[in-house]
Amino acid sequence: MSGASAARTLELIKRLGFTDVVSIPDAESRHLYQALIDDPDIDVYLPTREGEGIALAAGLWVGGRKPFLLIQNTGLMEAGDALRGCGIGPGIPLLLLVGWRGYPGAMKGLLPIDSAYPYTEPLLDAWGLPHRQLMGDDDLDVIEEMATLAADASKPAAVIYGHGFRQ
Amino acid sequence: MTMERLDLFRVLAAVRRDQIVITTMTATLQWPLVSEHELDFDFLAFGMGHASDFGLGLALARPERKVIVLKGDGGLLMSLGSLVTMGRYGPPNFLVFLLENASYEMTGGQQFAPDVDFVTVARGAGIEKVERIEDLVTVEAELPRLLAEPGPHFVVLPVTNSEPLPPVAHTDHAGRVKDLRRALGVG
Repeated sequence: MSGASAARTLELIKRLGFTDVVSIPDAESRHLYQALIDDPDIDVYLPTREGEGIALAAGLWVGGRKPFLLIQNTGLMEAGDALRGCGIGPGIPLLLLVGWRGYPGAMKGLLPIDSAYPYTEPLLDAWGLPHRQLMGDDDLDVIEEMATLAADASKPAAVIYGHGFRQ
Repeated sequence: MTMERLDLFRVLAAVRRDQIVITTMTATLQWPLVSEHELDFDFLAFGMGHASDFGLGLALARPERKVIVLKGDGGLLMSLGSLVTMGRYGPPNFLVFLLENASYEMTGGQQFAPDVDFVTVARGAGIEKVERIEDLVTVEAELPRLLAEPGPHFVVLPVTNSEPLPPVAHTDHAGRVKDLRRALGVG
Protein backbone atom coordinates (compact mmCIF):
# COMPACT_ATOMS: atom_id res chain seq x y z
CA MET A 1 0.00 0.00 0.00
CA SER A 2 1.09 3.58 -0.47
CA GLY A 3 -0.25 5.07 2.71
CA ALA A 4 -3.47 6.83 3.56
CA SER A 5 -4.90 9.88 1.84
CA ALA A 6 -4.06 13.03 3.76
CA ALA A 7 -7.30 14.65 2.59
CA ARG A 8 -9.45 11.73 3.70
CA THR A 9 -7.63 11.57 7.02
CA LEU A 10 -8.19 15.28 7.60
CA GLU A 11 -11.86 14.87 6.76
CA LEU A 12 -12.15 12.10 9.32
CA ILE A 13 -10.23 14.07 11.96
CA LYS A 14 -12.66 16.96 11.55
CA ARG A 15 -15.71 14.70 11.62
CA LEU A 16 -14.47 13.29 14.92
CA GLY A 17 -14.41 16.79 16.38
CA PHE A 18 -10.69 17.29 16.88
CA THR A 19 -9.83 20.94 17.35
CA ASP A 20 -6.02 20.95 17.64
CA VAL A 21 -3.02 18.91 16.61
CA VAL A 22 0.32 18.95 18.39
CA SER A 23 2.90 17.60 16.02
CA ILE A 24 6.51 17.11 15.24
CA PRO A 25 5.94 15.56 11.83
CA ASP A 26 8.07 12.90 10.23
CA ALA A 27 8.73 12.61 6.52
CA GLU A 28 5.82 10.20 6.11
CA SER A 29 3.31 12.59 7.73
CA ARG A 30 4.38 15.78 5.99
CA HIS A 31 1.41 15.79 3.59
CA LEU A 32 -1.06 15.35 6.44
CA TYR A 33 0.78 18.01 8.46
CA GLN A 34 0.48 20.44 5.55
CA ALA A 35 -3.21 19.64 5.11
CA LEU A 36 -3.72 20.37 8.81
CA ILE A 37 -1.80 23.63 8.53
CA ASP A 38 -3.92 24.65 5.56
CA ASP A 39 -7.20 23.90 7.29
CA PRO A 40 -8.69 26.88 9.13
CA ASP A 41 -10.66 24.73 11.56
CA ILE A 42 -7.69 22.95 13.13
CA ASP A 43 -5.06 24.72 15.24
CA VAL A 44 -1.56 23.32 14.76
CA TYR A 45 1.25 23.49 17.34
CA LEU A 46 4.79 22.44 16.61
CA PRO A 47 6.73 21.94 19.87
CA THR A 48 10.45 21.25 20.11
CA ARG A 49 10.17 17.72 21.53
CA GLU A 50 7.41 15.18 21.81
CA GLY A 51 7.28 15.10 25.61
CA GLU A 52 6.69 18.80 25.59
CA GLY A 53 3.98 18.23 23.00
CA ILE A 54 2.16 15.64 25.09
CA ALA A 55 2.10 18.01 28.07
CA LEU A 56 0.83 20.82 25.84
CA ALA A 57 -1.90 18.57 24.44
CA ALA A 58 -2.87 17.50 27.95
CA GLY A 59 -3.27 21.15 28.93
CA LEU A 60 -5.42 21.79 25.88
CA TRP A 61 -7.66 18.86 26.79
CA VAL A 62 -7.99 19.84 30.43
CA GLY A 63 -9.01 23.28 29.21
CA GLY A 64 -11.78 21.84 27.07
CA ARG A 65 -10.21 21.38 23.64
CA LYS A 66 -9.91 18.08 21.75
CA PRO A 67 -6.30 17.68 20.59
CA PHE A 68 -4.47 14.78 19.02
CA LEU A 69 -0.78 14.14 18.48
CA LEU A 70 1.03 13.43 15.24
CA ILE A 71 4.56 12.21 16.00
CA GLN A 72 7.10 9.59 15.06
CA ASN A 73 7.79 6.44 17.10
CA THR A 74 11.22 7.78 18.01
CA GLY A 75 9.55 10.84 19.50
CA LEU A 76 7.12 8.63 21.38
CA MET A 77 10.08 6.88 22.94
CA GLU A 78 11.54 10.22 24.02
CA ALA A 79 8.21 11.23 25.49
CA GLY A 80 7.79 8.32 27.89
CA ASP A 81 7.71 10.32 31.10
CA ALA A 82 5.24 12.85 29.71
CA LEU A 83 3.02 10.08 28.34
CA ARG A 84 3.06 8.40 31.74
CA GLY A 85 2.46 11.58 33.69
CA CYS A 86 0.22 13.59 31.37
CA GLY A 87 -1.67 10.78 29.68
CA ILE A 88 -1.82 7.43 31.37
CA GLY A 89 -1.68 8.54 35.02
CA PRO A 90 -4.34 11.23 34.95
CA GLY A 91 -6.49 9.37 32.41
CA ILE A 92 -6.33 11.90 29.61
CA PRO A 93 -7.71 10.49 26.33
CA LEU A 94 -5.00 11.53 23.91
CA LEU A 95 -5.15 10.08 20.41
CA LEU A 96 -1.63 9.44 19.15
CA LEU A 97 -0.94 9.08 15.43
CA VAL A 98 2.52 7.54 15.43
CA GLY A 99 4.83 7.16 12.48
CA TRP A 100 6.33 3.67 12.41
CA ARG A 101 9.91 4.41 11.42
CA GLY A 102 11.61 1.25 10.25
CA TYR A 103 8.46 -0.56 9.20
CA PRO A 104 8.78 -0.25 5.40
CA GLY A 105 12.42 -1.32 5.47
CA ALA A 106 11.71 -4.25 7.72
CA MET A 107 8.90 -5.40 5.45
CA LYS A 108 11.28 -5.34 2.52
CA GLY A 109 13.79 -7.38 4.47
CA LEU A 110 16.37 -4.62 4.41
CA LEU A 111 19.22 -5.02 6.86
CA PRO A 112 20.11 -3.78 9.31
CA ILE A 113 16.63 -3.34 10.74
CA ASP A 114 16.01 0.13 12.15
CA SER A 115 15.81 -0.43 15.92
CA ALA A 116 12.88 1.98 16.12
CA TYR A 117 10.76 -0.62 14.32
CA PRO A 118 10.72 -3.63 16.68
CA TYR A 119 10.34 -1.62 19.88
CA THR A 120 7.25 0.33 18.87
CA GLU A 121 4.41 -2.12 19.49
CA PRO A 122 5.98 -3.78 22.56
CA LEU A 123 6.49 -0.35 24.05
CA LEU A 124 2.84 0.56 23.61
CA ASP A 125 1.90 -2.83 25.05
CA ALA A 126 4.14 -2.23 28.05
CA TRP A 127 2.33 1.05 28.71
CA GLY A 128 -0.98 -0.76 28.38
CA LEU A 129 -2.05 1.43 25.50
CA PRO A 130 -4.35 0.07 22.83
CA HIS A 131 -3.06 0.47 19.29
CA ARG A 132 -3.97 -0.35 15.70
CA GLN A 133 -2.09 -0.23 12.42
CA LEU A 134 -2.92 2.16 9.58
CA MET A 135 -1.43 1.16 6.26
CA GLY A 136 -3.82 2.71 3.75
CA ASP A 137 -7.25 4.14 3.11
CA ASP A 138 -8.94 0.84 3.88
CA ASP A 139 -7.71 1.12 7.48
CA LEU A 140 -8.81 4.67 8.19
CA ASP A 141 -11.58 3.50 10.48
CA VAL A 142 -8.95 2.57 13.08
CA ILE A 143 -8.57 6.29 13.80
CA GLU A 144 -12.19 6.50 14.90
CA GLU A 145 -11.88 3.21 16.76
CA MET A 146 -8.87 4.43 18.76
CA ALA A 147 -10.32 7.90 19.35
CA THR A 148 -13.50 6.35 20.71
CA LEU A 149 -11.60 3.86 22.82
CA ALA A 150 -9.40 6.60 24.27
CA ALA A 151 -12.44 8.63 25.27
CA ASP A 152 -14.35 5.65 26.68
CA ALA A 153 -11.39 4.24 28.59
CA SER A 154 -9.94 7.62 29.64
CA LYS A 155 -6.44 6.89 28.45
CA PRO A 156 -4.26 7.46 25.41
CA ALA A 157 -4.61 5.19 22.39
CA ALA A 158 -2.41 4.96 19.32
CA VAL A 159 -2.66 4.50 15.59
CA ILE A 160 0.65 3.45 14.07
CA TYR A 161 1.02 4.39 10.42
CA GLY A 162 3.40 2.24 8.44
CA HIS A 163 3.44 4.00 5.07
CA GLY A 164 2.54 7.55 5.98
CA PHE A 165 0.09 9.83 4.24
CA ARG A 166 -0.02 10.66 0.54
CA GLN A 167 -1.26 13.83 -1.09
CA MET B 1 19.63 39.66 45.73
CA THR B 2 17.13 36.93 46.46
CA MET B 3 13.81 36.58 48.23
CA GLU B 4 12.49 34.01 50.64
CA ARG B 5 10.22 31.73 48.67
CA LEU B 6 7.41 31.40 51.18
CA ASP B 7 7.23 35.18 51.49
CA LEU B 8 6.95 35.38 47.71
CA PHE B 9 4.08 32.91 47.75
CA ARG B 10 2.28 34.89 50.43
CA VAL B 11 2.53 38.06 48.34
CA LEU B 12 1.25 36.29 45.23
CA ALA B 13 -1.58 34.52 47.05
CA ALA B 14 -2.74 37.85 48.48
CA VAL B 15 -3.44 39.33 45.04
CA ARG B 16 -4.41 36.20 43.12
CA ARG B 17 -8.13 36.00 42.29
CA ASP B 18 -9.54 33.80 39.49
CA GLN B 19 -6.28 32.91 37.78
CA ILE B 20 -5.29 29.26 37.34
CA VAL B 21 -2.08 28.59 39.29
CA ILE B 22 -0.01 25.57 38.25
CA THR B 23 2.70 24.45 40.64
CA THR B 24 5.30 21.73 40.39
CA MET B 25 8.13 19.98 42.18
CA THR B 26 9.91 21.09 45.34
CA ALA B 27 10.05 24.66 44.15
CA THR B 28 6.37 25.00 44.89
CA LEU B 29 5.63 22.44 47.60
CA GLN B 30 4.89 25.33 49.95
CA TRP B 31 2.19 26.89 47.77
CA PRO B 32 -0.64 24.99 49.55
CA LEU B 33 0.54 26.55 52.82
CA VAL B 34 -0.67 29.91 51.56
CA SER B 35 -3.38 29.00 49.06
CA GLU B 36 -6.45 26.78 48.99
CA HIS B 37 -8.22 27.53 45.73
CA GLU B 38 -10.19 25.41 43.27
CA LEU B 39 -8.02 26.74 40.44
CA ASP B 40 -4.76 25.61 42.05
CA PHE B 41 -3.33 22.68 40.12
CA ASP B 42 -0.48 20.57 41.47
CA PHE B 43 1.45 19.29 38.44
CA LEU B 44 3.90 17.28 40.56
CA ALA B 45 4.63 13.87 38.99
CA PHE B 46 2.80 14.73 35.77
CA GLY B 47 6.03 14.81 33.79
CA MET B 48 9.40 16.22 34.72
CA GLY B 49 10.01 19.68 33.34
CA HIS B 50 6.65 20.00 31.62
CA ALA B 51 4.56 22.20 33.93
CA SER B 52 4.81 25.23 31.68
CA ASP B 53 4.06 23.12 28.59
CA PHE B 54 0.86 21.95 30.27
CA GLY B 55 0.14 25.52 31.34
CA LEU B 56 0.63 26.76 27.81
CA GLY B 57 -1.98 24.30 26.59
CA LEU B 58 -4.39 25.42 29.28
CA ALA B 59 -3.82 29.08 28.47
CA LEU B 60 -4.46 28.45 24.79
CA ALA B 61 -7.64 26.57 25.60
CA ARG B 62 -8.92 29.18 28.07
CA PRO B 63 -8.06 32.59 26.68
CA GLU B 64 -10.46 34.33 29.05
CA ARG B 65 -8.46 33.30 32.11
CA LYS B 66 -4.89 34.02 33.18
CA VAL B 67 -2.74 30.94 33.67
CA ILE B 68 0.19 31.33 36.07
CA VAL B 69 2.93 28.70 36.22
CA LEU B 70 5.30 28.52 39.19
CA LYS B 71 8.25 26.33 38.35
CA GLY B 72 11.90 25.88 39.21
CA ASP B 73 14.91 26.48 37.04
CA GLY B 74 15.94 22.82 37.25
CA GLY B 75 12.62 21.86 35.73
CA LEU B 76 13.08 24.40 32.97
CA LEU B 77 16.44 22.91 32.07
CA MET B 78 14.69 19.58 31.54
CA SER B 79 12.54 21.10 28.82
CA LEU B 80 14.45 24.17 27.73
CA GLY B 81 12.98 23.99 24.25
CA SER B 82 9.61 24.85 25.77
CA LEU B 83 10.77 28.47 25.84
CA VAL B 84 10.87 28.43 22.05
CA THR B 85 7.34 27.04 21.95
CA MET B 86 6.21 29.68 24.42
CA GLY B 87 7.85 32.34 22.30
CA ARG B 88 5.97 31.19 19.25
CA TYR B 89 2.55 30.30 20.67
CA GLY B 90 2.35 31.90 24.11
CA PRO B 91 -0.97 33.76 24.41
CA PRO B 92 -1.57 37.03 26.29
CA ASN B 93 -3.04 35.21 29.29
CA PHE B 94 0.11 33.19 30.05
CA LEU B 95 2.52 34.07 32.86
CA VAL B 96 5.49 31.97 33.96
CA PHE B 97 7.34 32.68 37.20
CA LEU B 98 10.69 30.93 37.15
CA LEU B 99 11.90 30.30 40.71
CA GLU B 100 15.65 30.37 40.40
CA ASN B 101 17.96 28.66 42.86
CA ALA B 102 20.43 26.94 40.52
CA SER B 103 19.92 23.55 42.12
CA TYR B 104 17.87 20.36 42.03
CA GLU B 105 16.22 20.89 45.39
CA MET B 106 14.05 17.77 45.34
CA THR B 107 17.01 15.42 45.20
CA GLY B 108 19.22 17.10 47.75
CA GLY B 109 20.18 20.46 46.34
CA GLN B 110 22.72 19.41 43.76
CA GLN B 111 24.03 22.53 42.07
CA PHE B 112 23.89 22.89 38.32
CA ALA B 113 25.59 25.51 36.18
CA PRO B 114 25.32 28.61 38.41
CA ASP B 115 25.64 31.26 35.75
CA VAL B 116 22.77 30.42 33.41
CA ASP B 117 21.17 33.68 32.32
CA PHE B 118 17.54 32.66 31.93
CA VAL B 119 16.46 36.16 30.93
CA THR B 120 18.78 36.08 27.94
CA VAL B 121 17.81 32.51 27.09
CA ALA B 122 14.11 33.36 27.18
CA ARG B 123 14.55 36.48 25.06
CA GLY B 124 16.63 34.53 22.61
CA ALA B 125 13.85 31.96 22.41
CA GLY B 126 11.49 34.63 21.15
CA ILE B 127 9.63 35.69 24.31
CA GLU B 128 9.31 39.46 24.28
CA LYS B 129 8.12 40.25 27.80
CA VAL B 130 10.92 38.91 29.96
CA GLU B 131 12.07 40.39 33.21
CA ARG B 132 14.03 39.61 36.34
CA ILE B 133 12.85 40.82 39.73
CA GLU B 134 15.25 40.39 42.61
CA ASP B 135 13.43 41.55 45.73
CA LEU B 136 10.07 41.08 47.33
CA VAL B 137 9.18 44.76 47.50
CA THR B 138 9.47 45.07 43.73
CA VAL B 139 7.51 41.86 43.21
CA GLU B 140 4.70 43.26 45.33
CA ALA B 141 4.73 46.47 43.33
CA GLU B 142 4.82 44.77 39.94
CA LEU B 143 2.33 41.95 40.52
CA PRO B 144 -0.83 43.96 39.72
CA ARG B 145 0.70 44.93 36.38
CA LEU B 146 1.82 41.38 35.61
CA LEU B 147 -1.63 40.00 36.38
CA ALA B 148 -3.44 42.63 34.33
CA GLU B 149 -1.13 43.35 31.42
CA PRO B 150 -1.37 41.14 28.32
CA GLY B 151 1.57 38.76 28.05
CA PRO B 152 2.91 36.24 27.65
CA HIS B 153 5.31 37.06 30.48
CA PHE B 154 8.36 35.19 31.66
CA VAL B 155 9.63 36.44 35.01
CA VAL B 156 12.77 35.19 36.73
CA LEU B 157 12.67 35.34 40.53
CA PRO B 158 15.80 34.35 42.49
CA VAL B 159 14.69 32.59 45.65
CA THR B 160 16.01 30.99 48.81
CA ASN B 161 14.22 28.81 51.29
CA SER B 162 14.79 28.43 55.01
CA GLU B 163 11.41 26.89 55.89
CA PRO B 164 10.60 23.18 56.25
CA LEU B 165 9.01 21.55 53.22
CA PRO B 166 5.66 19.78 53.27
CA PRO B 167 5.66 16.12 52.19
CA VAL B 168 5.61 15.24 48.50
CA ALA B 169 2.36 13.75 47.13
CA HIS B 170 2.54 11.55 44.03
CA THR B 171 -1.07 10.47 44.10
CA ASP B 172 -4.46 10.98 42.50
CA HIS B 173 -3.48 12.44 39.15
CA ALA B 174 -6.90 11.71 37.69
CA GLY B 175 -8.62 13.39 40.63
CA ARG B 176 -6.55 16.54 40.21
CA VAL B 177 -7.53 16.72 36.54
CA LYS B 178 -11.21 16.11 37.26
CA ASP B 179 -11.23 18.78 39.96
CA LEU B 180 -9.69 21.39 37.68
CA ARG B 181 -12.00 20.58 34.77
CA ARG B 182 -14.96 20.81 37.12
CA ALA B 183 -13.76 24.17 38.39
CA LEU B 184 -13.42 25.36 34.80
CA GLY B 185 -16.83 24.04 33.85
CA VAL B 186 -15.38 21.56 31.37
CA GLY B 187 -16.70 18.04 30.83
